[in-house]
Amino acid sequence: MITDMKSFNNGIWIGARAAMMGSILMLFAIIYAQPAYGQIAASKDQQNARVDAGSSESASRVAPGDLLPISLKLSNFGGGMRVDALIAYSILDATGREISSTSETVAVETTASFIKSVQIPFDTAPGTYTALTSVTYAGQLTPAISRFSFRVERKILGLFQSDFLLYGGASSIITICVLLLSYILVERRRKARFTPFDYSGISKDRRTFYEILSDTIMQMRQRVGDDALVIASRTAGLTIDPETGRVLALTEPPGKVIAALVSEYERFLGKKVSFSFRKDTTSA
Amino acid sequence: MKPQKTILIVEDEENIRDAIADVLRTKRFLPLEAKNGKEGVDLALTEHPDMILLDLIMPEMDGMTALKMIRKDAWGAHVPVIILTNVSATNEQLVDDMITHKPMNYLIKSDWKIHDVVEKVEDVLALQAA
Repeated sequence: MITDMKSFNNGIWIGARAAMMGSILMLFAIIYAQPAYGQIAASKDQQNARVDAGSSESASRVAPGDLLPISLKLSNFGGGMRVDALIAYSILDATGREISSTSETVAVETTASFIKSVQIPFDTAPGTYTALTSVTYAGQLTPAISRFSFRVERKILGLFQSDFLLYGGASSIITICVLLLSYILVERRRKARFTPFDYSGISKDRRTFYEILSDTIMQMRQRVGDDALVIASRTAGLTIDPETGRVLALTEPPGKVIAALVSEYERFLGKKVSFSFRKDTTSA
Repeated sequence: MKPQKTILIVEDEENIRDAIADVLRTKRFLPLEAKNGKEGVDLALTEHPDMILLDLIMPEMDGMTALKMIRKDAWGAHVPVIILTNVSATNEQLVDDMITHKPMNYLIKSDWKIHDVVEKVEDVLALQAA
């Protein structure tokens, strides 16, 4: 009569041996937490039985009120004879005090696989707990017990508290960085677009015209966007940089060009257009 | 205590003139009022205001003629002027006159609230002082 326990990928195995009505019956139980991503294992030899238990930290984390899934696989090697096995589930706190328990009887003829969901009480304090599962059946010679640790952690908006703080913190930092970067880029672009151009290289008698045209285009760009550049580039006698709006050349009388540009803008806006002169125009 | 700045309002529409004067008073400016270009030139050359708000279309003497006369004076050549009008600057001659006689701003009345005009007055005065 041999009871064997084997580590299973991410589970807990319990093996037990039973003798029944003079024949040899072997009941083999596999218990593991679902889902599991890793494994911790401990081993204990008990005369003719060996119990291995394992669970994953990340898998066995639940919130108060959540269901802790425990998967079981019971195999009866007793030659087709039906065995009624009593399975008891207990949740113990760090001091070993039982905070929740339940049990059920399962009839096993050959193999039985199922997932038992044990509810963690709503008032459970955060901390480390132990899930204890035991299998009892008639004629059992050695106890078949499995235990694994799991953590109880509160949830915030559907996320575990630690995940919430981690993801929330990371998201906040990323959001702040993105916002800051966007602000810097927008500001830089805005400053570049709305900084008056310098026309000191233009002769003094024509400079004021260049400045008025340039500033009017810039002010219109603030109001209507890049359409201001399109309209300006279509104005007869006016050549501008299509990207920046800088006035490059005037091939018609400047007063006529300004009047034409203002007229185009007024037609586009459907209202009259104001404009400003630069400070040095009064002292020139 | 800083001396009170004097602003000459040359505007034929009494309602607008009074409204601007009222807001200027609340901002501790001293408004002077003229109802046409001729009165405006006389007041400007005798009182030497710190700034002139000038309408263009007025009886007796229009604003551009008044500006030309003010600019001929040694003091008037540099006084800051804001044109406040409903005339579009879509006429070549008007644009040329403005370039020649150098107002600080050409503001369309319908585009500007009175408080914004007064803010512009403050900006221009601050710019002049800088």
